[in-house]
Amino acid sequence: MTVEVTFWSYFADLAGAASGKFDVPVGTSVEELLGSVYRSHPRLSALRNSTLVAVGVEYQGGSYLLQPGDAVSLFPPVQGG
Amino acid sequence: MKQEILITTEAIDGPALAAARASGPGMGAVVHFLGVVRGSEEGASIAAIDYTAFVPMAEAQFRKLLDEAARRWPLESVRVVHRLGVVRVGEPSLWMEVVSPHRAEAFDACRWIIDEMKRVVPIWKRAVPVVP
Repeated sequence: MTVEVTFWSYFADLAGAASGKFDVPVGTSVEELLGSVYRSHPRLSALRNSTLVAVGVEYQGGSYLLQPGDAVSLFPPVQGG
Repeated sequence: MKQEILITTEAIDGPALAAARASGPGMGAVVHFLGVVRGSEEGASIAAIDYTAFVPMAEAQFRKLLDEAARRWPLESVRVVHRLGVVRVGEPSLWMEVVSPHRAEAFDACRWIIDEMKRVVPIWKRAVPVVP
């Protein structure tokens, strides 16, 4: 399946794109997907410890298993207010 | 509990928002909070802050926070407005109103919602430097 990953805030600058598409098997974990993302966008990997991950509009951890239709977002710590 | 969440590029008009308040006779406390853009960021003078957001998720996370606040405190209503785009120094970026029977829960809930917002609501800022 193809998973669309959106990069928010300065992650888009580091990735050089607002989003990317990744082909992974159904049931791939978020952690495994991140491995693919970091291979394609190595500048993001330096920030992996502070990276937040959402699937749809909910935060998810690395063990979340991706299903068809899931939209993944990666972003830095939030700064509202 | 009534809740309103607005994430907008329009300027925040605090007095107009406050004037639109509707609360019942049992409510004795209304806390208003206004977050204003400071003139410096990490020691450097700035002209403005450019806010961006993942809006659908920001709205969803705000809703979860307000639902949780309603479980923790006896609130009648919470209204939150967060501005996006370029907000100049001195202008408000955040407006919040918490209405409850007594002041303690209104102050506590207002502070808690803002603290949690800064932890989970996907909004980011970028300083706009002063042009010499």
